[in-house]
Amino acid sequence: MESSSHTGADAAVQALEDLKTDIEGAVLDTVDAIDEYRIRYLSRKQGRITALMKRIPDVAPEDRRAFGQAINSAKDTVERRLEEATAALTTAASATSAPADVTLPGREQPQGSLHPITQAARLITRVFENYGFDVAEGPEIEDDWHNFTALNFPPDHPARDMQDTFFIEDAEQEHGGILLRTHTSPVQIRVMEDIMKDGEPPIRVIVPGRVYRNEAISYKSYCLFHQVEGLYVDEGVTMADLKQILHAFARTLFGEDVRMRFRPSFFPFTEPSAEVDIWWKDENLPGGGRWMEILGCGMVDPNVLEGVGIDSEKYTGYAFGMGIERIAMLRYGIDDIRILYENDVRFLEQFS
Amino acid sequence: MIISTNWLDDYIAHGLSADELADRLTMCGLEVESVDRIGTDLEGVVIGHVLSAEQHPNADRLSVCKVDTGMNTPLDIVCGAPNVAAGQKVAVATVGTTLHLPSRDNPEQRVPVTMKKAKIRGEVSEGMICAEDELGLGDDHDGILVLDTDAAIGTAFSDYLSAKGIRTMDHAIDISITPNRPDAISHLGIARDVSALTGKEICRPAVALTEAGGSVTSKMSVTIEAEDLCRRFVGIMVEGVEIKESPTWMKQRLLAIGLRPRNVIVDITNYVMYECGQPLHAYDADTLNGHCIVVAKAKVGSTFTTLDSKERTLPEDALMIRDGEREIGIAGIMGGENTEVTDNTTNVFIEAAWFDPSSIRRTAKALALQTDASYRFERGVDAEGQAWAAKRAADLMVELAGGTLVDGMIDVHPVPYEAPVVPLRAQRVLDIMGADIAPSEMVRLLEAIGFGVTEKQADPLVWDVTVPSFRPDVGREIDLIEEVARLFGYDNIPEPTHSRIPNFTPGMAVDRQLRERLRDVLSGIGFRETYTNSMLPIETAERFNDPALPGGRFGGDVVETMNPITTEMAALRPSLLPGLLKVAGHNHNHGQQAIRLFEFGRVHTKRNTNRTLVGDYTETETLMLLTSGYWQGQYWEGEPREADLFDLKGVVDRVFRATGLEVPRYKEREASNLASWGVDILLGKRWIGSLIRISDAVAGDFTLRHDGLAAEIDFTALAEAAAGAIRPRYQAISRFPVVERDIAVIVPASQPAGPMIEAIERTGGDLLKQVTVFDLYEGDHVGKDHKSLAFGLRLGADRTLRDKEVDKVMTRILKTLEKEFDAKLRG
Repeated sequence: MESSSHTGADAAVQALEDLKTDIEGAVLDTVDAIDEYRIRYLSRKQGRITALMKRIPDVAPEDRRAFGQAINSAKDTVERRLEEATAALTTAASATSAPADVTLPGREQPQGSLHPITQAARLITRVFENYGFDVAEGPEIEDDWHNFTALNFPPDHPARDMQDTFFIEDAEQEHGGILLRTHTSPVQIRVMEDIMKDGEPPIRVIVPGRVYRNEAISYKSYCLFHQVEGLYVDEGVTMADLKQILHAFARTLFGEDVRMRFRPSFFPFTEPSAEVDIWWKDENLPGGGRWMEILGCGMVDPNVLEGVGIDSEKYTGYAFGMGIERIAMLRYGIDDIRILYENDVRFLEQFS
Repeated sequence: MIISTNWLDDYIAHGLSADELADRLTMCGLEVESVDRIGTDLEGVVIGHVLSAEQHPNADRLSVCKVDTGMNTPLDIVCGAPNVAAGQKVAVATVGTTLHLPSRDNPEQRVPVTMKKAKIRGEVSEGMICAEDELGLGDDHDGILVLDTDAAIGTAFSDYLSAKGIRTMDHAIDISITPNRPDAISHLGIARDVSALTGKEICRPAVALTEAGGSVTSKMSVTIEAEDLCRRFVGIMVEGVEIKESPTWMKQRLLAIGLRPRNVIVDITNYVMYECGQPLHAYDADTLNGHCIVVAKAKVGSTFTTLDSKERTLPEDALMIRDGEREIGIAGIMGGENTEVTDNTTNVFIEAAWFDPSSIRRTAKALALQTDASYRFERGVDAEGQAWAAKRAADLMVELAGGTLVDGMIDVHPVPYEAPVVPLRAQRVLDIMGADIAPSEMVRLLEAIGFGVTEKQADPLVWDVTVPSFRPDVGREIDLIEEVARLFGYDNIPEPTHSRIPNFTPGMAVDRQLRERLRDVLSGIGFRETYTNSMLPIETAERFNDPALPGGRFGGDVVETMNPITTEMAALRPSLLPGLLKVAGHNHNHGQQAIRLFEFGRVHTKRNTNRTLVGDYTETETLMLLTSGYWQGQYWEGEPREADLFDLKGVVDRVFRATGLEVPRYKEREASNLASWGVDILLGKRWIGSLIRISDAVAGDFTLRHDGLAAEIDFTALAEAAAGAIRPRYQAISRFPVVERDIAVIVPASQPAGPMIEAIERTGGDLLKQVTVFDLYEGDHVGKDHKSLAFGLRLGADRTLRDKEVDKVMTRILKTLEKEFDAKLRG
C-alpha cells in the first residue's frame, strides 16, 4: 500500500533525524559506555542503524538514495566516534594517570622450584657431559649378577658387607637373587654388555640414579639416595686421566682453588681403587678445616672387563661414583639428609 | 680396628707423631677414622708417704691423712679409700694436676678434672691419693694404689711407672680396614706398612719356634675330618698356669684398643691376636674328653652353647671343633662354655688354626655372630702364621701365668701352603698408573711389604713376584700394581694438563630430554619438585596399587623387601601418590595453604610385562602432579580460589604441549576407594595416565585440609609417544588472514563439550585451525535442563577465504551439531 509505504519512509527518515543528537553527543568515556553505544547502533540484532538499513526497501524509490546516504553517513559517524573514544580511553589508561595506589602488591605468580637433588644432579651431569660423557640409566630392582657378581664381588666375600642390601628374592633363585641396587655400578655392566653386542670401546658414560642401602636412618644416612656413576673404557686410559677428570669436576663444583686428595681404598670392581677427599674449610675446627670424602673411584678391574667380553690387555678404563645428596649437602650447607625427603615447602622454596 | 701407638712402638721406631702416623696410614690405604688420646702424662702426680691416717671427725668413711711429698710440710689430704694406712707409699695428685677421671654418669667415659685445694666436710684437703682407675691404669676403684715400699718420695709417679715398663699416655688410632687387607688387622700388620712407608725396620718379638711332635702329642691328638675347610691346626699345651689378672701393661693395652681384660690366659690369646692377626683359642685341657680334638662339620639342626652362655642352633655345614665326646667350639667363631678357661683351670691347650674364609663367613652370617676371630678368618689369616702365634702365646703364659710348657707341638697340616708366583710387567705398571716410576722403586716397594721379586725377563722387563702367605688377596698382576701404586702414593701421580676425549658421540635420550624440559616447565608455572621415599608400609602400597594409576594398571602384586628396616618401609611404591599426599599433609599442617607439587620417580609392581628387565618385575617411571588448597591465594582484588579439575587439566595439557604432542583427550572413569571421581588421560587410544580427585577417606588419612587433585602420568609411555614429536618441525606460516567466527548452541545440560569439540574439528576439516569454548551458560534464557555452549572458531588457508566458503563450513558444523547432539542454534 502506497500510503503505508510513504508513512514507513517518513517514519524512517524521522527516526534517523531523532538519532543524530545521540550519535554525535553521547558521552563515551568508559569501556561500558563504548560497548553499549556500539550495540545500540551497530549490533546485528538490536542496532538502530542496522534496523534502519533494513527499512531501505520501505522508502520510496526516488528517496532511497538520499536516505541510504544519510544512513551511511550516520554509520560512519558512529564508527569514527567509536574509534576515537577507544583510542582516547587507552591513552588515558596507559599514560596519563597512574593507578590510585602503586604501592599495592603485584598480582602474585605462583612460585615453583626444583629440588636440590635435581639441581645438584644437573650440575654434576653437566660437567661430565661437557667432557663428552653419554648419560645412561638402569633399573632400581636388580639381579645379583649385575649388582655384585659381574662387578667382581665373589660369593661369600666380606666385600658384600660393605653395602647393606635390601633383598627381594633369595639368592637361591634361578637368576641368583633379586635386590634393590646398592649402587649405580650395575648400569656399567648393562652399558658394556649392550655396547659389546655389536660394538667396541670407547665407552664413555655417566649414570645418575636412585640406590638403596639397608642402614639405620640418621642425619647422615637414609635408606635410599642418589648416585652418579662414571665409566670410561678405551685404549690407554690411566689413573692419571682419572685424577685429571675428577679434579676438573671438583674445580667446577667447589671452586678453582679446591684442594683434593686421592687415597687408596678398596672396591671389588676397581683396582687400584681410591677415595677422593676435598678440603672443607671450617674455621671452627682445629687446623682450619677437614677432609671430606666426596667420591670413590679406580681403574676398572680386569675381571669386570673380561666378564663382559672386553679385552683387558687392549683396553683399560676408569670408573667413579659419587652420592648426589652428599654433594648437594656440601654445596648448600644442609646438615641433615632427612630434610631432603621431607619436602617441607619452607625448605623447597629456598631453592626456587 | 683400633691400634695403640705405644703397642705399635714395640715393633717399629717410626719417629712419627700420632697425627702424622694417622695421615701416612690414611694415604697408603689404611683409612684412619679417629685418633684419640688416652690418659695423660700424669704431670703433677708425685710419690707420697702416708705419715698418718686419722678418722675424719665428721664423716665415717673418710680419713684425714698427712702425706709427705718431699715438701717442707706434709700435705693434708682427705681420702675416702678404706685401705689407706700410715706408712704406705702412694701416688698423690697435687693441687693443679689434671686427671682424666671416670665420669660419674658413665664410668666408660672419662672427663678432665683439675685438683683444687678444698674443704671436705670441714677438713682441708690439698690433693688426692689416687686409685688405679683414676690414674688410667685399670678399672680398679676398690682402694688407693699402694706402691712399692722403696719408691722415692717426691719423685714423679710417671718415672716410677716407666721403670716398670708402663706408659700412662697412649693414642688409640681407629682404622677402617678394607676387605682386601686381612694382613693389616693386627699391630704387626700395620707395622709392616709403616716400615714400607718410612724405611724403618720391623722388630718382631723373638719366639723360638717348636718342632712338631714331642710330649704334647702323647697328651693330645688332633684329627681334621674336613680338610678342605681346615688346612692347618696347631696345638700347644701349657701346664700349671695360675689364673689371675694380667699385668698392668697388658691390661692397659687391651683397654686402649677397646677390649675388656678378663684373666691372664684369655687376655694373652687376645693380645697375640691383636699382635699378629692370628686368632687363638685356649681350652681348659682337663675338660677335653678322650684327649683328642676333631675338626668336623656339624650335624644338621644340632645346638651348641657358646662361651657367652647362649644356646645356638647350628646352620648346615658349620665347621665345629669336637673332643672325644661332644662339640666344644664353633670353629673360627667362638669356643664352647663346656671347655672354656675358668678360675679353676690349671692346664691350657692353645689352638691356632687356618679355617676356610667362605665357610666361616657363611656360618657367622647364619648365626648373626661376628667375633674378632670370625672377622679375621673370613678375610683370610696368614696361612703360615699358626706356629708362631701359638708359641708366642705359650711363651707369654709361661712368663705371665707361671705355667710350664709341654714340649713339642701338634701340627696337623693337610694342605701345605704354596706361595703363588705372579708375573709383573714393569710397563704394565706405567700403563695403569700413568706415572713414571723407576723399576727399582717398584721392586723396593714390593719387597718392603714382604713380596719376593726376581727378574724373569730383561727386555721387556718382567718379574716373578712371590706372594707372601699373609696376602691371600693378591693373586693377579693388577693386585701387585695396586700395591705399588698405593705405596708410591696416588698424590704423586701427575695430572695431565689436557683431557683425552675420544671421537665418540654422546646421545641424548628422549626420556631424559623430556624429563629435564618438564621439570623446567612445571617449576616455571608454580609447581615444586619433591623427592619422596620409595619404601612404604605394605598396606599403604596395596591401597595405592589401584588400576586408576599407572603402576596399579599393570595388575601385579606389590613388591616387598625380604629384610625391611621397619614395617613402615616394607614395600616398594606402586605409585608416587602416597608420597606426595604425605608431603601435602605435612605442609598443610605447617600452614601452607597452596600446594602444587610434582615428582618424577620409579614405581614398581610384581608382574612380567613388556617393560620387564629383571625377574618378574615391572619398573616404570611416572610423573605425578598434585594440587591441594588455593590455586589463587588471598589477594587484595578478590577472594582465594580452591584448585579444581580445570586448573590441573590445564597443567596436564601444558605437559603434553611441552613434549610436542597434541593435548590429550579426557574420559570420565569410575569412582573408586581412592578417587571420588576421575578421568583417564588418553593420547589417541593409548592410556597415558589419569587425573583424580582424592577420596575424602584417603585425604583424611593423609591429613589433607583441602580437596586433593592428582594426575599420575605414565612417563615411560609419554616419552615413547613423544619420541617423534620432541624435535619441532617448522611449518610455513600462512600469509593470509584468518577468519574468526562464533557459534553458540543450546544442548541438553548433560551433554559434555568434549565430543562436540571433536565433532567440530572433524567437520571443519583443513580450513578449521582452532576451536575454543568461550562461553558456557545455564539459566533462564536457555530453558530448564539445557545449557548454551559458545565456540570460537578460527579458519584459514593458504589463500584468502571467501565468505561463501566460510559460511558453508559453518553451516556444515551447525548441521553436525544439530544431528549428533540435538543442538539448537542460539538466536
